[in-house]
Amino acid sequence: MPPALLTTSLVNTIQIGSLYALMALGITLTFSVMKLPNFAHAEYVTVGAFAALIVSLSGNVNPLVIMLAAFIVGALVALVSHIAVFKPLEGREVSFYTLILSSFAVGLILRYILFMVADYFNLFDTRIRISLQILLREGYLILTNIFFWVVPSSILLVIALTLLLNRTPLGREMRALANNPGLARVIGIPVERVKNYSWLLVGGLAGVAGALWGLQTAVSPLMGWVAIISVFAAAILGGLSSFAGTILGAYVVAFSENTVMLFLNFNFGLDLAYKPAIPFIIIIAVLLIRPQGFTELIKRAGDLKR
Amino acid sequence: MINIDIGATAVAILTLFGIYSLMAISLNLEYGVAGVPNFGQALFVSIGAYTAGVTYTRILPLLAGVESVHPCGPTMGQALQLRSEVMAAQPVAGFINLALTFLIAAVLAGAVGFAVSYVTLRLKEEWFLALVLLVGGETVRIVVRGADDLICSHNGISGVAQPFYFLGDPRSSSLMFMILCVTLALIAYVYSQRLTHSPFGRMLKGLRENEDVTRGLGKGISLARAQIMLIGSAIAAVGGVLFALNTGFVNTNDYVVTLTLDIWVMVVLGGIGNNRGALLGAALIAILDRFTQVGAIALNMSGSPIEFNYVRFIAFGLILLLMLRYRPGGLLPESPLTTNAHDVARSMLQPRDERS
Repeated sequence: MPPALLTTSLVNTIQIGSLYALMALGITLTFSVMKLPNFAHAEYVTVGAFAALIVSLSGNVNPLVIMLAAFIVGALVALVSHIAVFKPLEGREVSFYTLILSSFAVGLILRYILFMVADYFNLFDTRIRISLQILLREGYLILTNIFFWVVPSSILLVIALTLLLNRTPLGREMRALANNPGLARVIGIPVERVKNYSWLLVGGLAGVAGALWGLQTAVSPLMGWVAIISVFAAAILGGLSSFAGTILGAYVVAFSENTVMLFLNFNFGLDLAYKPAIPFIIIIAVLLIRPQGFTELIKRAGDLKR
Repeated sequence: MINIDIGATAVAILTLFGIYSLMAISLNLEYGVAGVPNFGQALFVSIGAYTAGVTYTRILPLLAGVESVHPCGPTMGQALQLRSEVMAAQPVAGFINLALTFLIAAVLAGAVGFAVSYVTLRLKEEWFLALVLLVGGETVRIVVRGADDLICSHNGISGVAQPFYFLGDPRSSSLMFMILCVTLALIAYVYSQRLTHSPFGRMLKGLRENEDVTRGLGKGISLARAQIMLIGSAIAAVGGVLFALNTGFVNTNDYVVTLTLDIWVMVVLGGIGNNRGALLGAALIAILDRFTQVGAIALNMSGSPIEFNYVRFIAFGLILLLMLRYRPGGLLPESPLTTNAHDVARSMLQPRDERS
């Protein structure tokens, strides 16, 4: 594989891996604190992307404003789905499959509402409008300002989230809830309020991820849904409980989808059509062989269930 | 305005009802009765459809005694024409081919279902099985779509004619096909009713309620789970063959997670654990499906900017949420199973003075 191609794929790995990390942390957080494998997470991402797109179409808007709009809309949609759907189910001790099905249903509804919105305002295959500058062009490799929006923003957000979980009272309460909900309630943690904040946080981060995702590719009602399996693969690599593991998992998934895939394509002629199968294979392999993922490798750093 | 042909609509709805019933009965046996969370139903349905795609292009010409043409690439059109000619002129070859398709599809899907149940033994948490099945189905879909020769990758196989195509008149041939679908669905229903009420069915329900107790009673639970997955998957594959014949083509795009969700909607709507509920759910979804199609065409013709098809998915999501929240047992909830032994025991437990 020529070095230029390798560099390009590594740049992609970093960019996409950072976005996967941002989305997968939300999945890990929902699973740990709310005990819910939330497939509707995909649609919080898409909702955020559409919010960003609509704001950006109004003219020359600062990307920070766009990201803020995506955060707010994503957060509100997540909170509404919690209050309208998941919270009423929580009280009834329903089976896990009821929760999975409900999250699928929420995702389905949001996805097709977005289809209607996109259809009505004629927003199919539109990019979020920000000024594009090419910073470096060398052979295959083209670096634009988008890379320098996407990567530092996601890394900063991941760091901020980690600090929030480890250093603030809210973070401590969230971790307590993740560890032992009954005990958390007994010692007087305002469980409902912490859950509401967690949902806002999860939805907001997903929304920002959507906005950043929409900077690099066209916004579509299916974009979150298409990415969700890769994101779940990352979260599963993190054992669905470890923050550091999830971040590592996100880069591993992005690396396999970009660099490893390109390597296999170049050296063994494997068709690029098989690329979507990579996260699937990762999920199946991890669940069968090593369901704890990376958690034991990095027990110390940033584990929610310390 | 569009004119709705009531006869043809009824036939179309009943055909869908038959096909959906097979899928719903299969999921109901697996999840409703035995508690195996099959979130990969689309995989087992698709095995049936892919099998039809392969038999119609490879075995049918052999049976008809004509030289087969490679179905993909430049000879695609020629192969399609050959299939149509054979199906129109040689009904016997068509029927033998269909029987072989059912057989191969059921055996293949059953084997996959059986194998999957061994995966469950290795999983740390039970819900991982749901995820593995969901993801496994998608993986198979991507691999089949990537394979150039099997069903011509993303082009799929068209002209998979239903077996009564030779009748010529579309009204009578679709009527006959409807009867075939409904008959197969009813056979599956009677079979699953008998299965549910047999000692094996009671053991599966015990397994669903409490694995440890069932194991403690000396029942081999892994074999039981493997058996029900085998039976359920085979039924789903038969449904998949009919599904492909009904639409007339086999394409990997039809067998996505949304299809799995459709089948779950049927079972949740009708009643989890009740075979009659599966039939009811299938019937309601078949009607809803047909009416959203008609509505979509009507809305499109009236010049509306919004696609009515989106409403279908939103409606499905709402049905799922409302049922799970307000009527988790479904429209026809499962009734407790009683046996003769149960009645005898109850009469013995009654107070003495009441009996005398």
